[in-house]
Amino acid sequence: MAEQFATPPTRPLESYLELIERILKEVLRAGRFELSFTIVRGTPGEDEPETPELVVDFAGPDADLLLEKNGALLNALEYVVLRAARLEEELFGRITFDSNDWRSLRAEELKLTARIAAERVIETGDPFALQPMSARERRIVHLALRDLPAVRTASEGAGADRKVVIHSASPPRRRR
Amino acid sequence: MKELIEAIAKALVDNPDQVQVRPVEGEQVTVLELRVHPSDLGKVIGKQGRTARSIRTILGAAGMKLKKRFTLEILE
Repeated sequence: MAEQFATPPTRPLESYLELIERILKEVLRAGRFELSFTIVRGTPGEDEPETPELVVDFAGPDADLLLEKNGALLNALEYVVLRAARLEEELFGRITFDSNDWRSLRAEELKLTARIAAERVIETGDPFALQPMSARERRIVHLALRDLPAVRTASEGAGADRKVVIHSASPPRRRR
Repeated sequence: MKELIEAIAKALVDNPDQVQVRPVEGEQVTVLELRVHPSDLGKVIGKQGRTARSIRTILGAAGMKLKKRFTLEILE
């Protein structure tokens, strides 16, 4: 029944590409960023069914700058440029900005962090809050722990402070 | 940097001809005052301020390359 809630996008993703490219070039030029980019098709990984269809892949002397502070500049450029291109919400996950495979490396790091934190929750029984993350990163964490029945995950907090909290699935049931 | 904020703001808003950026140079920091058409305020601020925060991140990174600090002020 999910169909009745999901609004299909009215335009194909490809139809936004020219505009995305134009805005991005202009922002890179005005900010004097030494970056070039190519738009490539995403290659689905084994356990990543949600690989974006299109990847804006950056290279150049400022590529390191893009990835500092957990990809802050990369994410900021992605958000601003896709907003400016008036990309429909439904299409936001289907195109992503990346450089040097950073997104998949980051995903591996998040999964590892999630598992280590989950082990700790199982040991201690205490909830454990991870660092604040974007919706996309929180999703990676939720999925990484989905098959672990001993814990449950929840997103808590608002806006930029929203984070995944891992709880023990078998809390003391006194209050229920 | 004025040019950077103008480029981003003009791409985001519906009334690009109403975008004005005024740099106010301080000793340590240059403040960039951004003015847009009132109906476009939401476009530069975004849900929970996410667009404004992203613009500030881009501005900060571009400023770092010049070894200067810039802050963005969105005027209402």
